[in-house]
Amino acid sequence: MNALYGFYVLIWPAITLGVLVVICRAVMRDRRKAKEEQRELV
Amino acid sequence: MNSESLYQFSTLTVILLLLAFYGGTYLMTLGIRKKNEDADAFMVSNHRVGFGMGAASMTATWIWAASFYAAATSGYTYGVSGPIHYGLWGALMILFIYPFGRRFRKLAPNAHTLGELIHARHGSSSQLILALSNVLGSVISLMVNFTAAGALVSVLSPLSFQAGVIIAGFGVLLYTLWSGFRASVMTDFAQLVALMAIAIVIIPAVFFAMGGPSELVAGLDNLTVEQANLFSMDAILYQGAPFFVAVLAYAIGNQTISQRLFAVDESHIKPTFITATIGYGAIVIGLGMIGLMALTLGVEPMGGDMNNLIPQMVSGYLPPLFIALFFILVIGSLSSTADSDLSALSAIMMADVYGKNIARGKADPKRMLLVGRLTMIVATAVGIVFASFSLDILVMLVFVGALWGAIVFPVIASCFWNRVTNQAFTTSVLVAMVLFCLARFELLPMSGASGLFFEVLASIGGGVIIGLMVFGFLGRIAGFIAAALALVAMLVFATDFLRDYTVLLASLTAYGASTVVCVVMSLMSRQEDFDFATIGERVGDYDTHEPSVQEGDVATARPAV
Repeated sequence: MNALYGFYVLIWPAITLGVLVVICRAVMRDRRKAKEEQRELV
Repeated sequence: MNSESLYQFSTLTVILLLLAFYGGTYLMTLGIRKKNEDADAFMVSNHRVGFGMGAASMTATWIWAASFYAAATSGYTYGVSGPIHYGLWGALMILFIYPFGRRFRKLAPNAHTLGELIHARHGSSSQLILALSNVLGSVISLMVNFTAAGALVSVLSPLSFQAGVIIAGFGVLLYTLWSGFRASVMTDFAQLVALMAIAIVIIPAVFFAMGGPSELVAGLDNLTVEQANLFSMDAILYQGAPFFVAVLAYAIGNQTISQRLFAVDESHIKPTFITATIGYGAIVIGLGMIGLMALTLGVEPMGGDMNNLIPQMVSGYLPPLFIALFFILVIGSLSSTADSDLSALSAIMMADVYGKNIARGKADPKRMLLVGRLTMIVATAVGIVFASFSLDILVMLVFVGALWGAIVFPVIASCFWNRVTNQAFTTSVLVAMVLFCLARFELLPMSGASGLFFEVLASIGGGVIIGLMVFGFLGRIAGFIAAALALVAMLVFATDFLRDYTVLLASLTAYGASTVVCVVMSLMSRQEDFDFATIGERVGDYDTHEPSVQEGDVATARPAV
């Protein structure tokens, strides 16, 4: 039960961390691409 | 842990925190600022915002201060499943709109607002109904976010509620005013990174500080049977179901979503919306778990105010540094939503009101920018005044909710079915609003024949919601089958039952009535079938753009419309 409830609470910050990594990597890609195409990021 | 007061920052500390946040955000916008901003970019950037920036902006916009407080309240009230029944449905609002969003974008690739698309499809009356619903929604959102800032500042420092409201209002206006949507998207990314990083640290920190899994499991004895059940019917009926009904309405009625839909690179709409769905769900459900922790520990919300739950837990278990992080978390979330609301309101006034109804095809981009910036100033002032005086907006909330429900079917049908007419759109929304009011305020007895009448309409509304959701992902036939099955199920289970749940009955009535009237009037109309290809020709950019190095951008270099 302890492990189950521990997982139930902590899985959300873990997913958040995953999404944060995905977004940060994607933004770096966006920046690179915008630079290559000589346009602004936004 | 039932301390009677929260940790208090000194006035100087809070002012420095706010200065650091709003000052840093403002400095960031200087990097993208242009002396002469472009009206189109002020509303939707360059229509080519990348996946990363788009997903960050979408997530940051959808998370507002109330998301944390309401998720924690849900966890505290409904127990184990409570945070999921708040965060999951809120997240699905983003997901369910994306198939329709792709259609909107295909029909009007250069639009700035959904209202422009509806104007090209139907004309002014339908467009202005949609614009009105968007404006009311954004003003309410602004007010709620400024209120949250005032409440946070007043509970964690000696500063007054009004001081918090005014600082937040001016802070957001300061960095959004010049570059509009571009500033909003740019700062959303930084705000989201801070918000996520803080959430990632705070949730486990509170969890282990309170004793970890063993303490949580031991505290489950304090829960009722329903609260301890992951499949609690109470949580589904009182928290999940009303949210589920609103899934499509919130997304259609919210210009902040449409604006990002028209701004993101068309090929990235799907990953952007899926990532935002997961990101929103994880952050909000995670912070909602703090409400569950409070429940298992037997914590009583200070002053009976559920909004104090998270501050209480953070204040009670973590050192001041974490409380400062929590402060930034809430200020970041409310500011990212407020700046999006300002950008949404300015786009509506620029494109829907000035561009389409005042300038009528001869819009001057410079004047548009002036309209947009003045709108932001007026909207901020209205938000600050409403929030400062704690005005009762319950009636406005009820009205806006009904309007959003009433426009869902007419808006979606108008983009897929070429027989829907302007008259059908407008009449269906007005009839739905009248019937909604009759049911919501029980102006007719909800018994006998009239009770049955509204239950049938509500059952149709239930069928429409399910049908549209399935249609979005699986197509027309699956949508019709799902709608028919949902309708039958609703008629069986809702008859002689739903009349006791006035709010749900009235909301579903708005969906059902607008659908019936819109379909019947469209079928009876002898108007020529609409050619969807004309929408793209009628909705375009306002500025004259020089062709960029990208081949695809040449298409945007057209004269002002």
